[in-house]
Amino acid sequence: MQEERLVAVFSESARAVGSEVSIVADVEAVVDYVKQLTTCLVMVPDFASAKRLDLVSALKASGVALVQEDLRQGAATAAVGVTGANFAFAATGTVVLESTREDIRLATTLPEHHVVLLDPAKILEDDLAAVPHLRSFHQNSPRNYLAYITGPSRTADIERVLTIGVHGPKQLHILLFTGLSNDPLEM
Amino acid sequence: MNKVRAKEYQVRIDHALATPKLQEALHKFGDAFLLAREKAFSQYDFEALRLAIADCKDEVAAHRQQYLEQFIANAEAAGATVYQAKTAADANTYIAELAKSRGVKLAVKSKSMASEETHLNNALKGAGVEALETDLGEWIIQLAGQRPSHMVMPAIHMFKEEVAELFSKVTGSEEPAEIEHLVQVAREQLRQGYLDADMGITGANIAVAETGGIALITNEGNARLVSTLPKIHVALLGVEKIVPTLEDAATIIRTLPKNATGQLLTSYVTWIRGAVPCGDGDKELHLVLLDNGRSALAESPQCRDALRCIKCGACANVCPVYQTVGGHVFGHVYIGAIGIILTAFFHGLDKAAEIVRACIGCRACVTVCPSNIDLENIILSLRETIGHEEGIGLGKSIVFRKVMRNRKLFHSLIRAASMLQKPVTGGQRTIRHLPLFFSSLTEWRTLPAVAEKSLRDQWQKIPQKIEKPRFKVALFGGCANDFLYPELGIDLIKVMNKLDVEVSYPLDQNCCGVPALYSGDKETAVALAEQNIAAMLKDDPDFVLTTCPTCTMALQRDFVEFLKDNPVWAARAEHLAEITVDAAGFIVNQLGAAEVFKGEAVPEKVTYHDSCHLKRGAGVWKEPRELLTTSGLDLVEMEHADRCCGFGGSYSLTSHPDISKQILGDKIRDIEKSGATCVAMDCPGCMLQLRGGLEKQEKDIRVKHTIELLAEALK
Ligand code: SF4
Repeated sequence: MQEERLVAVFSESARAVGSEVSIVADVEAVVDYVKQLTTCLVMVPDFASAKRLDLVSALKASGVALVQEDLRQGAATAAVGVTGANFAFAATGTVVLESTREDIRLATTLPEHHVVLLDPAKILEDDLAAVPHLRSFHQNSPRNYLAYITGPSRTADIERVLTIGVHGPKQLHILLFTGLSNDPLEM
Repeated sequence: MNKVRAKEYQVRIDHALATPKLQEALHKFGDAFLLAREKAFSQYDFEALRLAIADCKDEVAAHRQQYLEQFIANAEAAGATVYQAKTAADANTYIAELAKSRGVKLAVKSKSMASEETHLNNALKGAGVEALETDLGEWIIQLAGQRPSHMVMPAIHMFKEEVAELFSKVTGSEEPAEIEHLVQVAREQLRQGYLDADMGITGANIAVAETGGIALITNEGNARLVSTLPKIHVALLGVEKIVPTLEDAATIIRTLPKNATGQLLTSYVTWIRGAVPCGDGDKELHLVLLDNGRSALAESPQCRDALRCIKCGACANVCPVYQTVGGHVFGHVYIGAIGIILTAFFHGLDKAAEIVRACIGCRACVTVCPSNIDLENIILSLRETIGHEEGIGLGKSIVFRKVMRNRKLFHSLIRAASMLQKPVTGGQRTIRHLPLFFSSLTEWRTLPAVAEKSLRDQWQKIPQKIEKPRFKVALFGGCANDFLYPELGIDLIKVMNKLDVEVSYPLDQNCCGVPALYSGDKETAVALAEQNIAAMLKDDPDFVLTTCPTCTMALQRDFVEFLKDNPVWAARAEHLAEITVDAAGFIVNQLGAAEVFKGEAVPEKVTYHDSCHLKRGAGVWKEPRELLTTSGLDLVEMEHADRCCGFGGSYSLTSHPDISKQILGDKIRDIEKSGATCVAMDCPGCMLQLRGGLEKQEKDIRVKHTIELLAEALK
């Protein structure tokens, strides 16, 4: 019940800020989703649930070109970055990504599309519920870079007109994937 | 006063007033902002949030050294280099030297007001380093060679056509003035910059002592790129950004976007602690903690609350003066109400001296400030400081010190004026034109004539028929009620007598002192406070009634504040404050007597104008509405009912008549749009302004004090 409610609130808030929210059942569905976004280069940094799903092999097997070396130049030319999320919070439709590893940051800042895999079990109520996890991140790693991401990149700097996609991703796709991971400290 | 500076300031005002397009944009923005903000906070308790922010900031201010040391220790433990810069120049030199020593050619920047404050880009240029602004608004004004006119939206004063022109010069081809296209141009043009730059410079919204990390609250995503791609990351931030814990940071993050842009949350909140991986190694992270006047601000008991500011920009968004002239007039680097204060401490009193007078004192900013800063109060105390430093002008100083403090002289001069004005009034109640060089005063509004017989001079002859009064109250008339609108006092007696209340008028009362205070002459204001306390408490009334909310604030708040350390006066000032209440509030709250007027009025469409000091000073706005509707009047709300009418006392007469005129124009449009034939209010100052404006424009709309309408109903 609780999880259903949180998923509903999360999806509504996320859509309200321009995120795409979809439900996927398996790794094939993720591959299909990515393929329908682009025929160009895709960047998949190293993260736990991708490994578990063997996402990279699945993408390769279906012919998707992946960024492999020179991550910086690769990310700058990639059309899609795929990452997980550590957790999310419903009130604002926010996904939280522990982005200390540079490849996570590159994949979530440079490509035009950012695809996020999120286990709905990891949707919390709101920003205050997130604080204990923030503290755990800080305790676990002395140096860190954490990101709250709420919708695509936006600006209203010209005549206060809301415009999407100024420097960061133009689209944020959140794929709800049950059974991916229920550890908020893991991506 | 500095003549050259004042002249330059006037030129800027004239220029801004000649740009109606900007005014229109800022007005629209102000409206949209308030709606979005209200929606964003609909599920949240704004009052609780702002008290929490104020508490947290005050806690840090009280233990500055402790939290500073904690933050630095944690940041250094995480591999950051921390530099404490005493001044702007100090911060600039550190960053420029660092850039030089690392062979930096290009530095990409995300938005940082601190770097605007220090003029960092100039310093980098001097060191041969190109600084590239990547925040869209900042880039636009960098290309235009300007400074920000808003803290959150730096280029709010520019239009898409101007942006297209600037971008066309960069790309070398004609860029169409379509916003989506222009944003795309910026994306493409700036992209390579991140990849090429050797240094990234950001600000920070929050620094967390508990972790030694910083948080950036942004929308565009450029700060993420700036803090990720270049090898060196420099964050320049004011020391006041430090908060104790992650929970405190969460409270700010919860509040800031809602109060800045009406967003529930910005697209990105980025938490960075320490030197994170970058390429093959670790990033080189420098945190430059800027003091530059902040310690001095923390030491000023009157002004230090300003350090609570979280730079949301809301105080400008809702400010009628800002909406009229924009941030290039009403600000230096920091703009709007908070800009006045920060400018004084960060850039010097001289830079603040003109804009400190530009505040009209309407307190709109105080209601929306998420850090619970009483901006108006701080601005008043700055005015006093500047009054001390520079003098308040010879004319004013004679009026306040020599005349006003001597009540008999002051009042006999007003009586004389009532005789002398005859040639211009022709015996009428209003002055439509003034001769020669005074003529500008009546160009856009008529002025009331001084009444032939003041309230005090006719008081004894006004009969009061009550057998057993419920209460004995003393009326504090204030100058306008006494000398301009004595009929209001007579109506008050009628209304109060109907409610079994007897009213007296202590003759030793004098001006409440606000005009002197607003002009920076606190000494006179304090002298007047003492005179008034003695006069009003003399016969030990049950209550002191006011008909002017500015006087109400003086009696309820200022006198107490002035005299709190004075053993002779403190307790009496407190007592006066306790028994002072405005007339409408008294009828509803103390007497519970609105029903007495039930159905007595001849129905008429009335709209209500909230006077700034009544609504946002005394917290009274429901009461007059209750009285009007109960009495049978048809109350229709106008838009922006609680927006200032532009009066502000000497603001509209001498210091900023041209701004006052614009604000009045806005108000008159709203009144007309409501379709009412009468506009009610509870302030003689607003009456003067609105009557004057409506009369000059020959509009057939009555301007009435609530008490006058109640007296009418009893007829
Ligand atoms: S003073 Fe208050 S309203 Fe103004 S910018 Fe600061 S926090 Fe916002």
